[in-house]
Amino acid sequence: MNTPRQAAAADREAIAEAANPLGLDGIEFIEYSTTRPQALGQVLEMMGFRPVARHRSREVLLYRQGAINVIVNAHTPALPAAAGLEDKPVIAAVALRVRDAAAAYRRALERGAWAVPSRVEVMELNIPAIHGVGTSRIYFVDRYDRFSIYDVDFVPIPGVDPHPPAVAGLHFFGVVQYIGNDRAEDWSEFYRELFGFTELPAEQRFGILPKGRILRSPCPPASRFYIQLIEPEAGVLDVEDDETLQRIGLGTADVLATVAELGRRGVTFVESRGVHTEDRGALTNTWLGSVSFELVHDERG
Amino acid sequence: MSHDSGNIADFGMDTISLAGPLEAKLQAVRDAGFTQIMLAARDLVGHPDGLDAAVAAVRASGLRVTGFQVLRDFEGLSGHLHDYKVDIAKSMLEMCHALGCRLLLICSSTSVHASGETQALVRDLRKLAMLAIPMNIRIAYEALSWGRTVNEFPQAWELICQADMPNLGLGFDSFHMVATRTPLDELEMLDPDKIFLVQLADFMWTEIKSVEERIATARHFRVFPGEGVHSADLAALVSRLHSLGYRGDYSFEVFNDDYQQMPLPTVAQRARRSALWLGEEVLRRSVPLPNRIRLKRGLDVGTT
Repeated sequence: MNTPRQAAAADREAIAEAANPLGLDGIEFIEYSTTRPQALGQVLEMMGFRPVARHRSREVLLYRQGAINVIVNAHTPALPAAAGLEDKPVIAAVALRVRDAAAAYRRALERGAWAVPSRVEVMELNIPAIHGVGTSRIYFVDRYDRFSIYDVDFVPIPGVDPHPPAVAGLHFFGVVQYIGNDRAEDWSEFYRELFGFTELPAEQRFGILPKGRILRSPCPPASRFYIQLIEPEAGVLDVEDDETLQRIGLGTADVLATVAELGRRGVTFVESRGVHTEDRGALTNTWLGSVSFELVHDERG
Repeated sequence: MSHDSGNIADFGMDTISLAGPLEAKLQAVRDAGFTQIMLAARDLVGHPDGLDAAVAAVRASGLRVTGFQVLRDFEGLSGHLHDYKVDIAKSMLEMCHALGCRLLLICSSTSVHASGETQALVRDLRKLAMLAIPMNIRIAYEALSWGRTVNEFPQAWELICQADMPNLGLGFDSFHMVATRTPLDELEMLDPDKIFLVQLADFMWTEIKSVEERIATARHFRVFPGEGVHSADLAALVSRLHSLGYRGDYSFEVFNDDYQQMPLPTVAQRARRSALWLGEEVLRRSVPLPNRIRLKRGLDVGTT
């Protein structure tokens, strides 16, 4: 590929330099689907997000803080067969910023990705997508610099700051994906082949939940994010089908300060024997049966 | 499981050996004491009440689906032929997924329109494996002995190694190995964890002289292991695979026109006799403890 190879940071010399075949440049948005958009909206607002825009044709809201975009999709699909929305919110999609969305999409299909049929209304953007884990999708977005996808498909909510600042410098750090037994190799290959992710050595871990396998995106350092693959606990054998994007990881330069700030907003954190708040990270309690956020110490904040 | 029932858990029947509707096949296989069955796409799409009813019948039978067959002439095509075959493959994968089956069998291409270039074959196998990853399906690639480019298992193995996908492995059919007289020692090159399925069949002729006769034999005159004249070869093969470390499933890939016009229980009993011979006399499997727990490694071979 003709992408310039990135220089490995000094603390990461154990990792082979990775090419960035798609020109991957971070996460544009993460989408939840839910039948309870207001309840989820309250959770997001507690976490520091603000609703900034509304979709032109669907029951979809855009929440934002700093550079983090979260979309809440309560739109019920027209086909009954596709009505897969459950009571619990699920992470339904991750949109990746790429150099050329059409080229990225074609390249993924050539290598064996499953295309998601698009269902755009008039004057809406046709954002190409492939199937990800479980029922989730992966979008490719190349308009994020001078003009954004939200300019076309969304209407700003009047009187609202379209760019609310992030609480304590929060930014996307990554996504935790639950996988089936013995599936780490499969999913590593999926992200390596289609996007150029590389596996971190086992001793390199972030946050307070050091389980599983961590894949590093080939993005430039400023927009780099990670996918953490977590298999079921040993001895749990009947969860083969439960593969899903489980939670969002948010980076912050000062975990304890962020925990204090979010605490003032009403966010509570898990304090158990195994998991508790510390310098390296913290895990929020779970809302609505499925929604939690992990804080990870990351100097980029 | 009582002591005199014997241990045939490693062996399964294939619907292609049986006539009649899907439900009758499932019943016969189960009544004969088998716990797994190999299904063909035809079993599902040919069901009078449609695909969903077929899937429901399989799930209701309690039988584990060993694997789903068969994708043919996939690799090496280009342009619109490639696109067409990718659509077929996706359809097969969707059916396999609907069944909760973890294994799709693909036979090496016989197509004169297909390239024999290694790079093209490897690329296509990688793509197929990638298509199967989100569905948690493994791809077993089998060398058909009349395949155009790949017709013996060492060639299939070479491509699998080059493709290097975690969910791509070897489908091994004893018929083709015996028919092409591939030496047993060639098995030593295989990684037992990358053998995803072993299919067994015997046949009646001592020798097969031409490719045409081989195809005819394969499609019409196979018998269950121990019923033909190659029993010793099959026993040696199974023992060799076992000592190599293979602990996956054995499926009886028996195409036989006579069996197609016999009562299903009669055919299933013949299969059972074959499984008992292999399980008890060749592999000398002990009868397992009740509610035994198989290790994860064993489970991932085809858990539904």
